[in-house]
Amino acid sequence: MKEADEKPVHRRQFIKAGLHTTAALAIGGLAGMALSKSAPANLVWQIDPDKCIQCERCATNCVLNPSAVKCVHKYAMCGYCDLCGGYHRPGTKNLDTAAESQQCPTGAINRTFIEEPYFQYTIDEKLCIGCGKCVKGCGSFGNGSLFLQVRHDRCVNCNECAIAKSCPADAFVRVPANKPYLFRGGVAGAEPPNPLSGEAS
Amino acid sequence: MNYKLFIKIIPIVFILLAAGFAGFWFFYDPTARFSESVPGMDNRPERSGGLLSTVKIGEFFQRFNGVAAQLRGSWPRFRGSNFDNFSNETANMNWAGGAPKILWSVELGEGHAAPAIHKGRVYVLDYDEANHADALRCFSLLTGEEIWRRWYNNPMKRNHGLSRTIPAVTDKYVITIGPQCHVMCVDADSGSFRWGIDLVQQYNAQVPLWYTGQCPLIDDSLAIIATGGDALMIAVSCKTGRVVWSTPNPGNWQMSHSSVIPVTFHNKKMYIYCSIGGIAGISAAGEDVGQIIWQSTAWSHNVIAPSPVFMEDGRIFVTAGYGAGAMLLQLREENNVWSAEVITKTLPKDGLSSEQQTPILYKGHLFCVLPKDAGPLRNQFVCCNPQDITKYVWTSDKTNRFGLGPFIFVDNKFFILSDEGELTVIEASIKGYKQLARAKVLEGPDAWGPIAVADSRMLLRDSKRMVCIEI
Repeated sequence: MKEADEKPVHRRQFIKAGLHTTAALAIGGLAGMALSKSAPANLVWQIDPDKCIQCERCATNCVLNPSAVKCVHKYAMCGYCDLCGGYHRPGTKNLDTAAESQQCPTGAINRTFIEEPYFQYTIDEKLCIGCGKCVKGCGSFGNGSLFLQVRHDRCVNCNECAIAKSCPADAFVRVPANKPYLFRGGVAGAEPPNPLSGEAS
Repeated sequence: MNYKLFIKIIPIVFILLAAGFAGFWFFYDPTARFSESVPGMDNRPERSGGLLSTVKIGEFFQRFNGVAAQLRGSWPRFRGSNFDNFSNETANMNWAGGAPKILWSVELGEGHAAPAIHKGRVYVLDYDEANHADALRCFSLLTGEEIWRRWYNNPMKRNHGLSRTIPAVTDKYVITIGPQCHVMCVDADSGSFRWGIDLVQQYNAQVPLWYTGQCPLIDDSLAIIATGGDALMIAVSCKTGRVVWSTPNPGNWQMSHSSVIPVTFHNKKMYIYCSIGGIAGISAAGEDVGQIIWQSTAWSHNVIAPSPVFMEDGRIFVTAGYGAGAMLLQLREENNVWSAEVITKTLPKDGLSSEQQTPILYKGHLFCVLPKDAGPLRNQFVCCNPQDITKYVWTSDKTNRFGLGPFIFVDNKFFILSDEGELTVIEASIKGYKQLARAKVLEGPDAWGPIAVADSRMLLRDSKRMVCIEI
């Protein structure tokens, strides 16, 4: 009786059902991949440059020494000035590269003459300790093209970031790992500013 | 046997280790990888002049259809007739819809050069970006139509704008100083070229950072120009272009962005100038005309934009940006011996200072916008009694911050322009900040050029456009 109730499955139906299942699996897989691409796998720490007040705690409170926080330079915003508020100590008499003329305590900013009247300023990240003195100077007297960022080639992404805990301005925020850099005006980027193109990538 | 050998070897090993350590201690140089930061590592070449070796000042002229307005008002130079940034015009403020009527506007080259007004004409030393030229443009105050243009090629690269000075105008003459220190004199009506001086070529003047900011002064038909370099200051006959006197510059002081201010104290007329190197008073009349009668190196900074503010009792308030702060000096004279002593000085976070605009002295108080490095009071408009420049009578509070833009006194009101072109009008008072109106009059950015007022019209500019509004 039981065998009589069951309809036989024809070969064509079997192949059709198999193709449907394969197509559904393929579509589902693609959708899953797309979702996995669009949704961040995790979050990482970053400094919102619009909130940062350059309190210098980034230099001392990171679990790494030197800190994973570095100064970055968005060249498209820079005025390339001879007198640079980020490079020169306030009140310095000579606009040169002497140690006593520089704002940076570790000499991490390189100044290079480009052409009259422009100078280019680049950050030596090996020397930068993330104190933010240059960022404060650039913000006070210049265009604000220098700002602090957590460099994710160094950051160990602690669950409880020691700097975020002590940040007085709540400038440390969680951002998607696939766009871990924040520029002024709330713009996010996958990479820090690119010195060659002068633009955030 | 092995034990004895081991006992003998241990001290030898220790001695060798100690010797190795001592050798390392003595010969290792922990600073071997250090490099000195010394001047010259930026490969900066010797300073050169402009991109053209010879600039033919006033070479070209062009006439347009504009006609001078039949108006009599005058704002003939930087800070007006009396160098105080006061206007005697009436500001009725009948602003329909809360905003002033924009009578006309013109596009300008990128910069901060501001206008002077004289008898229905507006004069602006613009930068013509298409022709790479300094261009003295004369407009009708009534319509904004251009009347004529006197210009000369002067290729330059933008450096936070290009133009930034205000002409000085009399009935007969207009004197301008271009961004690269080219002085030009033309006829005020016709625009006919009279004479020109290249201060870099003729006086070894150094073009200031971000180009010239000094606004020229015409005093008794003499053009008074602070050159720096081979002279500290020169007086040039507007009529002939002949240098009437020249002030020696033994300290090799250089030109700043500050402008020369004429004052009279103890019946002695003098010109006060803040240079890069120091501040000095230069005799403006008498047998010692053109000579330095007092000087001080106590006030010397790389960038000085505001001009000195002189008070009747001989106090001089000087201020600058880039962390310089401010200083109050006391000018004294005894038996014709002059001196300027420092009364007090302050940093921007501790007291009154201004980065770009010259403070206004009103009812014995100083008014200005604090710079960005003034701490919590940054960018606030403040009132300060100069008896103590570290305290404020009032501040505009954190909801009313401004920027590097200009401010002017008109009809018992202060008109304050923000960087983004928002014009705020407040009551001129030493009692407190009372806002009367606020309106957006320019798009911005960098609305930094000083304001000019004449015939109930106010001229303001941002980096690219000048507007004329009805006040």
